[in-house]
Amino acid sequence: MNRKFLALLPLLAFVLICVFLYQGLFANPRELQTGRIGQAMPSFNLPDLMQDDKRWQQTDLQGEVYLLNVWGTWCPTCLAELGYLTQLREQGVKIVGLYYVQSYDSDFDGPFDMDSLREEVSTMLSRAGDPYQFNILDLERTLALDLGVSGAPETFLVDSNGTILLHHTGDINPRVWRAKFAPIMQELTP
Amino acid sequence: MIPEIGYFSLTLAMVLSVLLCIFPLWGAHTGNLRLMRAAPSLAVGQFAFVLISFAALIYASLTDDFTVAYVAYHSSSTLPWYYKITSTWGGHEGAILLWLVMQAGWTAVVAMRSQSLPWILRARVLGVLGFLGVGFMLYTLLMSSPFELLLPYYPVEGRDLNPLLQDPGMIIHPPLLYMGYVGLSVSFSFAIAALLTGKLDNTWAKWSRPWTMTAWGFLTLGITIGSWWAYAELGWGGWWFWDPVENASLMPWLVATALLHSLSVTEKRGVFKSWTVLLAIAAFSFSLLGTFIVRSGIIVSVHAFATDPDRGLFILAFLAIVVGGGLALYALRVSEVKSEGRYKLVSREVALWLNNIFLVVATLIVLLGTLLPMIHKEMGLGSISIGEPFFNKMFAILLVPFAILMGIGPLLRWKQNKWAFLQNKLLLCALASIAVTSAWLFLGYDDVAPLTLLATTLAVWIVFTTVLDIVDKTRVHGSLQNGLKRLSVSYWAMVLGHIGIAFVIAGVTLTSAYSVERDVSMKPLEVVSLNQYDYRFEGVKDIRGPNYSGHAGVVTVLKEGDKVARLYAEKRQYDIGMQFMTEAAIDAGFTRDLYLALGEQLSNGGWSLRIYHKPYVRWMWLGGILISLAGFMILGDKRYRNNKKREQKNQSEVA
Repeated sequence: MNRKFLALLPLLAFVLICVFLYQGLFANPRELQTGRIGQAMPSFNLPDLMQDDKRWQQTDLQGEVYLLNVWGTWCPTCLAELGYLTQLREQGVKIVGLYYVQSYDSDFDGPFDMDSLREEVSTMLSRAGDPYQFNILDLERTLALDLGVSGAPETFLVDSNGTILLHHTGDINPRVWRAKFAPIMQELTP
Repeated sequence: MIPEIGYFSLTLAMVLSVLLCIFPLWGAHTGNLRLMRAAPSLAVGQFAFVLISFAALIYASLTDDFTVAYVAYHSSSTLPWYYKITSTWGGHEGAILLWLVMQAGWTAVVAMRSQSLPWILRARVLGVLGFLGVGFMLYTLLMSSPFELLLPYYPVEGRDLNPLLQDPGMIIHPPLLYMGYVGLSVSFSFAIAALLTGKLDNTWAKWSRPWTMTAWGFLTLGITIGSWWAYAELGWGGWWFWDPVENASLMPWLVATALLHSLSVTEKRGVFKSWTVLLAIAAFSFSLLGTFIVRSGIIVSVHAFATDPDRGLFILAFLAIVVGGGLALYALRVSEVKSEGRYKLVSREVALWLNNIFLVVATLIVLLGTLLPMIHKEMGLGSISIGEPFFNKMFAILLVPFAILMGIGPLLRWKQNKWAFLQNKLLLCALASIAVTSAWLFLGYDDVAPLTLLATTLAVWIVFTTVLDIVDKTRVHGSLQNGLKRLSVSYWAMVLGHIGIAFVIAGVTLTSAYSVERDVSMKPLEVVSLNQYDYRFEGVKDIRGPNYSGHAGVVTVLKEGDKVARLYAEKRQYDIGMQFMTEAAIDAGFTRDLYLALGEQLSNGGWSLRIYHKPYVRWMWLGGILISLAGFMILGDKRYRNNKKREQKNQSEVA
């Protein structure tokens, strides 16, 4: 009896794995379980990317529906979506950039080379289109961490009360816009 | 016209494989020899038609037939001819067709090389292989035909092969890997046939062994070349990322390694029979599971193949039938099997049993690490990520007992051994390896971490104990020459395999511990130095390839004023996709690689360059090649050739 059961064990283990694989097949692994949807925009106080003395807080953004687009010049997909985002801006969508610095640690790396970053940013934006009202610089990635950003590009849709309605990972293209963003945008602007 | 021939030919092959599945299995069940005899010709016929089908796809690709959707998406007219051929397995549909070629090829070879088997077993082996063929062909014809047409509106130019795949490593990596995956289906079929027949004796192990070894050899070579490709092509000097797709190839390798050790015990001593059969089923199951993971998109991976739940569902159903059926048969039959041999604690049997335990634990670690994030999420526990640190730590822990055992195991005899006999020799080996390794590392490097010292010592230990074993075994036969001649090919295969592992361990350890890199910004004729090498940046020149343009950073490497190499680190832009690709420049050496990747031009006119000095990195692939040679060597063993004489005897047994 014991021996028979032992011989059955591999089969049982395999069936269990199969059940999980079957479920996994219909779950979308690219969907992030973001805990941020429905919550308020976290508070922050961060500098502007282009102007030395300007700082931004979450209260500055309230009162309008906007997209918060996490991006960086190091990210090719971000470059790819700039064109379409610029079209969206021309249609009247307010887009705020959250500039994500990939690997900088003030404890180790010494002073940050602001000038070369600004130059890189302006070259890229003048070449591929500039969709941003302004850019917030998240040098230590604190806001990105609070938002649960896992990479770039990612985009948050925030309503006029400062509530996050959507968190999209990956680029925004016409298809994604129609499927995910446009329905919510329509509800927000009657 | 030609694509239609391809599709039609594949349909014919499918018909033949349906017959190949039914005839011999039914014949073996009813004892009808005529039905069983049909199997070999059906197998060869099936292979011929699959080959025609594959040739049709290659032809379409070579002639830039962009009416074929697959060619339009994965090739272009500017691609060099050899990449046009390799583009036929650069995408999902073509890769599955290549898999079919391998599957049919192995089946045909088994059909031709199995004359010495009793008809009942031979028919069942081929029948099971036929069944596997039916599954994959059905999948190709219904879900992923590479012959879909884009008529009437077809493009004038194709989308080109992903530049990452335009590399010599990519030409051979998938075919080798598939040879390994599919080859394990032969071991699987032997196991199923033996279970059906109810005779799990050591003859089964003997027949299965050369096939398993060969498949394992291919798998090893495939993984090795995959790692080398990642190193040379991805441009950040890494060689293994514990990515789900890599894990998918590592799992069958680990199980197959356990299997061939277990097979040797079953063959020679008649013990561990049921365990060996289970491993044979498991090895191929992991190949299929790997395919499922890669092809269904169930796990996000950097390799990200095009995904589709319908396809995943088909593969999962097929997996469930094949593996579930195999394991159910196992559960039914195996409780009748009895172990014959007896052995003591200090014996080769126990050493091999421990080897199996370690390898299976390693497999489970990889399996858990790969699937746990998904299971965790499905159970509503949130997203987790399991990465390199987990695997590295687990494998480092496993390595220590495993490597120690690897040194002792071959020295032990079957049944029992007097420990006192070995004690002194082993102690000597251990001291010698510690002494040699310490001298090697402390003289070469300022800073030696305990873990580095330990792992390297273990590698040296494996080499020393292996040499000790050779000396021991030859001394029995009087002179050294006489003794060396007496050692069997299988023995040399083992020696080669173990030395190969030692190289892998040493290579991985030393390159992980002592690789250094520098990010620099250089203007022409500037010099930077890294680990006794000076790199003089000569400037950047334009380059033009068949389907790309770009520029190359020219760097002269000097050591104490003497020129060592001139390196061209390229940045390519491919004409069609406009993707940028970094083509690292590598100066390969036995004890170190100099690795150079070109970055962007900076605003001050200089260029950013990343320079790596990677000691002993090549040992890893050298080890891999040695291990795979061990797998192929067994084909030269007399015991597994010249079996034809026994053929008549076996046939008369059946009649």
